[in-house]
Amino acid sequence: MSEDGNGTAHKRETDGGSDSPNFVPTDGAESAVSVPDDDEDTYVESQVIMSTVRVVAPFSLTYGLFLMFHGADTPGGSFQGGAIIGATVLMVAFAFGIEPTRAWLRNRTVVALAAGGTAVFVLVGLIPLLAGGRFLEHHFYVDIGLIDTPKWGLEAIEVGGVAPIVAGVVIGMFFLIAAGWPPEGETEVTGDE
Amino acid sequence: MISAFEAVLFAFVVTTAVTTALLRDVLAVIVVFAAYSLGMALFYAFLLAPDVAMTEAAIGAGVTTLLLLLTLVKTVREDEDRTFERPNLPALVVFGGLLAVLLATVSRFPAVGSAEAPAWANPAVTQYYIENAFTDAGVENAVSAVLAGYRAFDTFGEAVVVFAAGVSILIVLQREVFTRE
Repeated sequence: MSEDGNGTAHKRETDGGSDSPNFVPTDGAESAVSVPDDDEDTYVESQVIMSTVRVVAPFSLTYGLFLMFHGADTPGGSFQGGAIIGATVLMVAFAFGIEPTRAWLRNRTVVALAAGGTAVFVLVGLIPLLAGGRFLEHHFYVDIGLIDTPKWGLEAIEVGGVAPIVAGVVIGMFFLIAAGWPPEGETEVTGDE
Repeated sequence: MISAFEAVLFAFVVTTAVTTALLRDVLAVIVVFAAYSLGMALFYAFLLAPDVAMTEAAIGAGVTTLLLLLTLVKTVREDEDRTFERPNLPALVVFGGLLAVLLATVSRFPAVGSAEAPAWANPAVTQYYIENAFTDAGVENAVSAVLAGYRAFDTFGEAVVVFAAGVSILIVLQREVFTRE
């Protein structure tokens, strides 16, 4: 998107008088807060954190999946489950470095989680509506004999909709903040859109 | 009236909340705020709201803390010479007034678990869900039945809001991808 070559490549400081809409403070001498260099690697390898996460992550991922899949019958649910699954990825990223985790979990995965979850939710709701029923009418699927109890309609929007959306947005938000502003390795966007 | 555990938990939550407001160092604020969220999660569990407790523990104590810590890494911490913030007198007066109004309503609350509480004694809503959730929706957790069954349209709106929030962050940061390809 910013490869249109209207700015100097890898330019870090904004020119004086530029009406760019971004939030990078100009490096004035009186500026109290400065933005750290984005190339600076803040990751510190710690054996304690890595070992702890190695032990805890399988359990927290299982717990998140349990809450998601079993939320219909026990306390919990897909929102909490999705959040814990997302938090597990955040934990792994904190322990083993954000950049490797980001490379491992590609953009495609994050977008598929968030957008796919929304699509599943919409589809589950719209199919009964288009077939003459009402929006999100789980009993419609029972009536046509697709499922035997409306429970599976609830499960579809919980497991297929809410949990992926929450997990995807949590992970995406984390990676976006980690990428910083201006985005690492990209040309700074200048005033004209 | 209240158990020792409740009293300790209450003292812990109030202390961490006040400390969060008064500390000057941002890192310390984030750590204390996470402790506050954990205390609140225990409180919700104690008040028989395990679903809310899990949300508070996962979002409040977990994800929010990690996001704030990451933001702190990305910005610069100023060295503080003082540990605590000097209280702002006008803000303190406003806060005290609000607190007095809120505390004045507490004595009118029904007791926890009281059968006369409006939320419990309402046969048209609460009792209906408790009696019919399993036959209507086929799930044993009435909270899930309400969220994904009776009030599925509301949940749909909430899910779309979360999705829109993710898209909005991309727009604000003028990026097209969450991760580097």
